[in-house]
Amino acid sequence: MATSVLIGAWVAAGLTLFMFSFLYKDNPFFRFGEHLYVGVSMGYTIVRIHYDVMMKSLYNPVVQEGKWWLLVPALLGLLVLTRFVPKVSWLSRISFAVIVGFGSGVAIPRIISSNILQQVQGTLKPLLNAGSSRFGMAELNALLILTGVLTVLVYFFFSIEHKGAIKIAARTGVYFLMVYFGAAFGYTVMARMSLVIGRFDDLILFASRDYAYASLVLLILVTLGLLLWERGQRRTQTPPGQVHSS
Amino acid sequence: MRELAGKLLRLDRRAIFVLIALATLIPLLYPIGLPIRVSPEVKRVYDHIESLPAGSVFLLSLDFDPASKPELYPMAVALLNHAFRRDLKVVTMTLWVTGTGMAEGVVSGVASEHGKRRGLDYAFLGYSPGGANVIINMGQDLNAAFPADHYGERTADLPVLGGVRSLRQVNYVVSLAAGTPGVESWYLYGKEKYGFELGGGVTAVIAPGLYPFLGTGQINGLIGGLRGAAEYETLIGMKGKGMAGMDAQSATHFIIIGLILLCNLFYVLAPGTVVRSFDPSAPLRTGSAQDRTGSPQEGQR
Repeated sequence: MATSVLIGAWVAAGLTLFMFSFLYKDNPFFRFGEHLYVGVSMGYTIVRIHYDVMMKSLYNPVVQEGKWWLLVPALLGLLVLTRFVPKVSWLSRISFAVIVGFGSGVAIPRIISSNILQQVQGTLKPLLNAGSSRFGMAELNALLILTGVLTVLVYFFFSIEHKGAIKIAARTGVYFLMVYFGAAFGYTVMARMSLVIGRFDDLILFASRDYAYASLVLLILVTLGLLLWERGQRRTQTPPGQVHSS
Repeated sequence: MRELAGKLLRLDRRAIFVLIALATLIPLLYPIGLPIRVSPEVKRVYDHIESLPAGSVFLLSLDFDPASKPELYPMAVALLNHAFRRDLKVVTMTLWVTGTGMAEGVVSGVASEHGKRRGLDYAFLGYSPGGANVIINMGQDLNAAFPADHYGERTADLPVLGGVRSLRQVNYVVSLAAGTPGVESWYLYGKEKYGFELGGGVTAVIAPGLYPFLGTGQINGLIGGLRGAAEYETLIGMKGKGMAGMDAQSATHFIIIGLILLCNLFYVLAPGTVVRSFDPSAPLRTGSAQDRTGSPQEGQR
């Protein structure tokens, strides 16, 4: 096995165990891993931005292909940095105006079309088609969806007091919301468990002889480290003149 | 009974962590092979790829970073295997800068297993800045959005992209997404305007939010979480990471359901029990470790 792969496995196994050590309590191993993650992510992003944005999308097209008009968005990007110089910080507003104007112009029509109009159509269409066929499970589902949409909308309608029929509808909307929250929570649990499974899968792989028992060795070392750190913590917390019983 | 319920409610939660760890570890070491039922939304992605004739253009956008690797990486492996087996022209890219290296690794790895040649049978375009705007740009001129691929080769010279000038010439797009930009961006700014068919593969956290798009046909199929990856692996007859994790997934879910039921039962049996906090001596922190593992994009949803 290549040395780089072996080193990578040891680093990955070690950092995974550092992060898992938080389940015991907040400790220096966890904090080291956390800070390293933030630093490495930022460093990696900067390097990729340099190659994928500055070189590939700006420097090469301008210098090699003469696409000088790309300097305009580059200049707008640089103007954002004037926020750091109070005297000329107003220049950044030009860039923000372009960003907000372009962003809104692009997004608003698309979102209205996709997230509102097509969703309304999708909610009503199955029921409108139901008249031509027998009322089955598909139609029942469509009816449930329509009821859910309407009652949840009523729940979020605060301009009138929730009394009588409105109260019943709003209450029904709350039950629909609860079902959604439950489903979303169930999916979230599944996602988090998948992450645990992914890390355990790697730890099992790195515990093999091919990887020089990386996971097992590092587990012992991290446990020992935590014990020593815990002992040190207890000593520093013991009041002067008092002998620690352990 | 009330005393026992009170004691269990005050149990150190680290005991639960150990229980979950064991429920994960044991099935991974000794798999049972529980049956996996394929859901219709996953089957639709599979069926669409099956229906594409050899030589069709399949675009796979790997819109995730290593934080979501356990869920989305198995999906990427399964989809790439399927596409290469079908002899499709595979074009890959990412809208997430931190996922570039990982995406390159999975694409080139699976391609080499199938003896596919870079530039001729597949392309990895890499990352281009702009998020959802990249999709609009690709819809107008793919070579403008990606003047060069990840390796610095001019995209206009790549044989695999011969005849592909924009997204209009792409037959099927699948976005494997852990947040925004992702499936919704591809639908909003790509499919509606440029007319290609779109499928999605997402983390379990964002899957419920995409079901309305599935119901209206705005996306033709959805692969959700590790479970979805396992279903896709079942369809293509591949024993991958998704299937390997399903026993552990089921075991942990069983434990969690059991704990929820027990806790509610104990709560009724021992009303007024003050539940002990995790670690009173620990310094106050904002957000849990779990919150931090998720990407910022995930939090925006």
